[in-house]
Amino acid sequence: MSLRFHLLFLALCLPAFGGVTPQPKPKPPQEAASISILRVNATSQTYDFFRPWMKKPPGTRRGLGTLIDGNRILVTAELVANATFIELERAATAEKSSATVERVDYESNLAILRPADPSILQGMKPLTLDKGVRVGDRATVLQLEQNGEIAETLGTVTSIAVGGYPFDNMGLLIFRLSAPMQQRDGSFTLPAVRNGNLLGLLMRYDARSQTADLIPSPVIAHFLKEAAKPSYVGFARAGMAFASTRDPQLRRYIGLNEPGGVYVTEVLRGSAAEKAGLKTGDVLLAVDGRAIDQDGNYEDPEWGRIAFSHITNTIYHPGETVNFRVFRDGAVSEIPVTLDVRDRSKIISEPHMSDRAPRYVIMGGVVFMELSRPYLQEWGGDWAKEAPQRLVFLDAFQNELPEDRGKIVFISQILPTQETLGYEGLENLVVSRINGKEIKSLDDVIAASKSPVDGFQMIELDEDPGRIFLDAGAIEAHRDALMEKYALPSLQRL
Amino acid sequence: MFRMCLLVFLALGAAQAAPVARSLVRIEATSQEPSYKVPWNPGTVSGGVGAGFIIAGNRILTNAHVVSNARFLTVSKEGDPKPYPAKILHIAHDCDLALLTVEEPGFFKGTTALELGGIPPMESVVSVFGYPIGGTRLSVTQGIVSRIDFQPYSHSGMDSHLTIQIDAAINPGNSGGPVLQNGKVVGVAFQGYSGDVAQNVGYMIPTPVVKRFLRDVEDGQYDRYVDLGLSYENLFNPAARRALGLVEDDRGVLVGSVYGGGSSDGIVQAGDVLMAIDGLPIASDATIPMDGDSVPLAEVVERKFKGDAVKLDVIRDGKPLALTIPLEGPWPFTLHSNAYDLPPRFVVFGGLVFQPVDQDWMDAHQPQDLRLRYTFDFFIEDKIYKDRPEIIALSGILADPVNAYAADFRHGIVDEINGRKIRSLADVAEEFAKPSEYYVIQMAGVGRPIVLERKAVEEARGRILSRYGVTREQNL
Repeated sequence: MSLRFHLLFLALCLPAFGGVTPQPKPKPPQEAASISILRVNATSQTYDFFRPWMKKPPGTRRGLGTLIDGNRILVTAELVANATFIELERAATAEKSSATVERVDYESNLAILRPADPSILQGMKPLTLDKGVRVGDRATVLQLEQNGEIAETLGTVTSIAVGGYPFDNMGLLIFRLSAPMQQRDGSFTLPAVRNGNLLGLLMRYDARSQTADLIPSPVIAHFLKEAAKPSYVGFARAGMAFASTRDPQLRRYIGLNEPGGVYVTEVLRGSAAEKAGLKTGDVLLAVDGRAIDQDGNYEDPEWGRIAFSHITNTIYHPGETVNFRVFRDGAVSEIPVTLDVRDRSKIISEPHMSDRAPRYVIMGGVVFMELSRPYLQEWGGDWAKEAPQRLVFLDAFQNELPEDRGKIVFISQILPTQETLGYEGLENLVVSRINGKEIKSLDDVIAASKSPVDGFQMIELDEDPGRIFLDAGAIEAHRDALMEKYALPSLQRL
Repeated sequence: MFRMCLLVFLALGAAQAAPVARSLVRIEATSQEPSYKVPWNPGTVSGGVGAGFIIAGNRILTNAHVVSNARFLTVSKEGDPKPYPAKILHIAHDCDLALLTVEEPGFFKGTTALELGGIPPMESVVSVFGYPIGGTRLSVTQGIVSRIDFQPYSHSGMDSHLTIQIDAAINPGNSGGPVLQNGKVVGVAFQGYSGDVAQNVGYMIPTPVVKRFLRDVEDGQYDRYVDLGLSYENLFNPAARRALGLVEDDRGVLVGSVYGGGSSDGIVQAGDVLMAIDGLPIASDATIPMDGDSVPLAEVVERKFKGDAVKLDVIRDGKPLALTIPLEGPWPFTLHSNAYDLPPRFVVFGGLVFQPVDQDWMDAHQPQDLRLRYTFDFFIEDKIYKDRPEIIALSGILADPVNAYAADFRHGIVDEINGRKIRSLADVAEEFAKPSEYYVIQMAGVGRPIVLERKAVEEARGRILSRYGVTREQNL
């Protein structure tokens, strides 16, 4: 999902083409906004998951940051993901300052930057968040011309709905804007304003349909409120999946006479919903006293008919308790659910690894890694079909693996050495045991390798060839030679 | 120089063409391809041309793929304008061979049965006869033996047997034709690469495979190939060899997995080292010495028949062990091979179409569903057959009010019906035949069941059958 968004953005990030029609002169409300934005140039570098000891060539993303109170700059998380250097630039004066990421939340795709030199913000005015926008209202997307002039695109809010965010499959509120944007340099994050207030940050734009998706002010407000807490928690998830109850045969079968409700199809392990006692087969009738229809929507006083997850992830904060009205076995009960964020320690295959280096262990030329989606995404846009299918399936169905499965450790490749003779072609094989010990993380690999059996490392695999053996003594003796030959900075990163 | 060669080749071709014309037949097949998308439909009718040749016993040998799914067959001889109706005596899809005969008396009069030869040496010249594209009359091409190796047989898509690669052109219509050397058949032309993949790569079925087929059908039926039902890996790594207690003699292969229900199940174990098969030493690259050549160890089993046994010398936990594997029959789970001459199996209930997933179904439906693809692809490796000897998919929905909310479940795998684990298509039919107020269909990995009310299903039944032209509600 997130890759597609990147592609859409790439189209926008192409160098400005000639003949851009100048926009009409800024109108007074927007003028205020223009002194609240500055350029953000982020140099980022991601790890090469095929060679986890290396980084890929650095790249630069450019976008616009919005000044908010407290000398902080608001941008999308995507703009600063894996950043090695972030630079703020005043559009008019080209004055520059480096900046650091003070807070980043990949689920809501938002980040706060703080300039190293606050004087760069002199004369700028922080923006406050917009309130009360309605479908049909007008809003302006701000861009910067090469010369520092503001370019404005007027658009119309065409829908307000909960939709997918680029990282972590999070579904949060989105304002969709219909606006004929032009390609300009530095369009990775763009603010949209209404009446001089920040309506949202543009996170993706589809040039064909000319629609822009905004991270909307309510999501930003939630993020800022969480960011003000001493330790950041973020956006809660109930941790369940559901299906519509439109089918009258299903409704009759479960004896459901209520008009609405959704059928719970999955309760994630360790989630708030599981802790509260929700079960597959329950029908969720209301959340926080607000009735839920057969498709999972409720009538929000501000935003209209939207998915109920907006209540649990944006209106309420982690730690707060919300009542779920549940129909189960013919009876209705109120179940209090204490909201919680996703427990990342339970994730088997990480959906994204921004700002994190992939872990690896190299044993005599055999490269071990832990499965993550960024590894699979190295196969390109069609990775779900191109990447090794067993690994794709393990990633996709990780929720169905045993609770104590741990990480999926696999041999990603072999760097041929004397020790790996005959194993050259092995790749992407899931490791079950080493020297008889179960492997649930790379730390287990290190621990198990300390007790070779009869001088051999016996690595057992989930598939053919079933097992391989390495000479433990020879591996130790040739460590330096291996590092030198393949120019490996280290034989492990844990 | 080029002209000279050309002349010589043509002369050679002519020299052989005269006698072979009395053995060669042109086969015209009218076949009906079943539809895996609309399984009750009889299928589309098409025609094709192939070659065949007469062997001893008034029989015609050709490729299985020339006569697969045939509804009507005719053969014609060189110099006789009359097409004779033919019938299939035996067909072997796993090695792409078939035997035909013509009942009309007099057909075989004046014909010559070709004799089978051995394996032609590398680089020796062979001639290919048939009716390939480019004209309707007999064609001869010539080439040399380029390679002798195991290759996948694309007709079944799942089997590999000994194959001889030649550089003579083999084109559609050559199939089933004899490849001759010194007047004897050394192979049956059967497959090749199209010119945009590789140049001058054609394959023929060599005589060991042909002879095995002829011997197998001597008892009046074809029993298919037998198989060890295990996977093994080369053992080159010195540390692995020492760890397994082997000496440095380049012998032995490591058993990776043993397939449940296969011949070796319960006898051989993963981690065993295979040292010899029927007394022939196995090299660490999984080859054995045979007929003065080094061939894949599978060749020993390739030449055996149902009911035979094979001896394996293995090393298990460092100790030698002699095992005998009775070869009871072919590997039972053949869903990865193409099926022929079998009408697709299905059950229609409440407008929902249930079908067992196999290669033909996958080819027809091209499912995107990850779980379905996984279950199919890893059916054998991950021993999925233990829980599901058949994968039953909801393969289609004949839209009707009774199933208006089932669209999301298309290409899902049926896990349970009314609480019963579904292991085969017969289970599906049985559960739907039982009277019940509700039919609750649970799909694998999906939280919400499909619920069908008996009343609604019965009411919809006639309507769906007539509206969608469903002529049969099931074929188990």
